[in-house]
Amino acid sequence: MRLRTPIAAACMVGIAIAAYLTYVHYAHTSPVCTTGGCEKVQKSKYAELGGVPVALLGLIAYVTLLALAFVRGMNAATAGVFTAAVGVVFSGYLLWAQLGPINAICQWCLGNDVTIAVVAALYVVRLLTEEGG
Amino acid sequence: MSLLGHPVVVPRNRLLVLGAAIAAAVVAVVVIVVVVGSGSGSSSTTTTTAHSGGGGATEARSTFAGIPQHDDTLGKASAPVTLTVFEDPQCPFCRQWNIDTLPTVVQNYVRSGRIKLVYRGVVVIGDNSLVGLAAIYAAAEQNKLWQMAEALYERQGDENSGWITIPVVRSAAKEIGLSPAQVTTAMRSAAVTSAIRKSAAEAQSLGINGTPTFAIQKPLGPLQQLQVSGLDPGDFTPALDQALR
Repeated sequence: MRLRTPIAAACMVGIAIAAYLTYVHYAHTSPVCTTGGCEKVQKSKYAELGGVPVALLGLIAYVTLLALAFVRGMNAATAGVFTAAVGVVFSGYLLWAQLGPINAICQWCLGNDVTIAVVAALYVVRLLTEEGG
Repeated sequence: MSLLGHPVVVPRNRLLVLGAAIAAAVVAVVVIVVVVGSGSGSSSTTTTTAHSGGGGATEARSTFAGIPQHDDTLGKASAPVTLTVFEDPQCPFCRQWNIDTLPTVVQNYVRSGRIKLVYRGVVVIGDNSLVGLAAIYAAAEQNKLWQMAEALYERQGDENSGWITIPVVRSAAKEIGLSPAQVTTAMRSAAVTSAIRKSAAEAQSLGINGTPTFAIQKPLGPLQQLQVSGLDPGDFTPALDQALR
C-alpha cells in the first residue's frame, strides 16, 4: 500500500478537473481555455452520455478510485485497475472525438487524459505488487 | 521484472487478473458507448424523421401563432424588455433551448407583451452554420425567422456533418409556409449577408464566443449577459424573473 499517497494525489488532480468541468456544464458558463476549443468540446454531443455529463461520470470515477486507494487487498486493486482502465479507454474515445468529429481540443480533457493514465499506471503497479492475494 | 526500481516477481495469476480487468474495461466502454450512444443517435433520428413529416411545423406554428414578428424580433415592439438570444443552428444546446424552453418563454413572457425576443445568429460550431444562418435570415425577410430557426433545429444532425443543405432548407421553408425558391434566392442577398455580419459584430462586441448566450436589455439600460443555471424552463425562467425585477 505504499502507492496510496501517489494514487490519492493523482485522483485529487482528476477530481479537481472533473469537478470544474461538471460545474461549467451545470452552470452553463464557459471554461477557462487556452486551446480555444474547450467550449466547443463542452457543448458537443460527446460531452454527455445518456444525458449525463461525462465530466460528472469522470468525477464519480475519480472519487471511486480515491476511495479504493484506501482499501487494502487484491479485490480493491483489481477494482481500481478496472475502473481506471475504463477511464483510460473512455478518455481515448473522447480524444478521438476531439481530433475527429468535434475538430477542437480541450485543455481540460487533455489534462484529464494524462491524469487518468497516471492513475491507471499506478493501479497496475499496485495490482502487481499488492501483498497477499 | 522491475517495478519502481525494485525487482519484483509477478505471480502469473496477477498478470491474468490484470489482463482480465483491462479486457473487461474495454468491453464495458465499447458496450456503453455503442448502446447509450446509439440510443441517443436513434432518438435524434426519430425526432428528425417525425418532424420532417410536418409535426415540427405544427409545433412552430402553435408556439408563434398570433405573436407579432418583424425581421429578427419576436413580440410586441412596445415590450419594455428585450431578450437577445445568440444561437448557432448546429449547436445542440441551442436546439435544447429552442425546443424545450422557448415555447414556455414565449407563452409566459412574450405573448403577454412583457418581453420581446431578438435573434442573433452566430457561427460557433463550423462553416455549415453559415448556410443555416443564411436560411434563417432569409426567412426573416418574410417575418418567419423564428419559425425557420425552429424548423432547422427539428432537423438538426451531427455537428459539422454538413447536414444543413439546400434540400434541408427547402424542406424547412416549405414546412413553415414559405416558398423554398424565394428563401434560397434570398439566402444569397446582400441584406442577409449584412444581417449575419451585424450579428457577428454584436456578438464580438459583447465577447460572446459560445452559444446559446442570452443578453437582456431593460428600458434605457445596456445590453447585459443573462446568467442562467440551465436551459430547462425550470432553470431558465427564474433567471429571467430575477432580471425582470
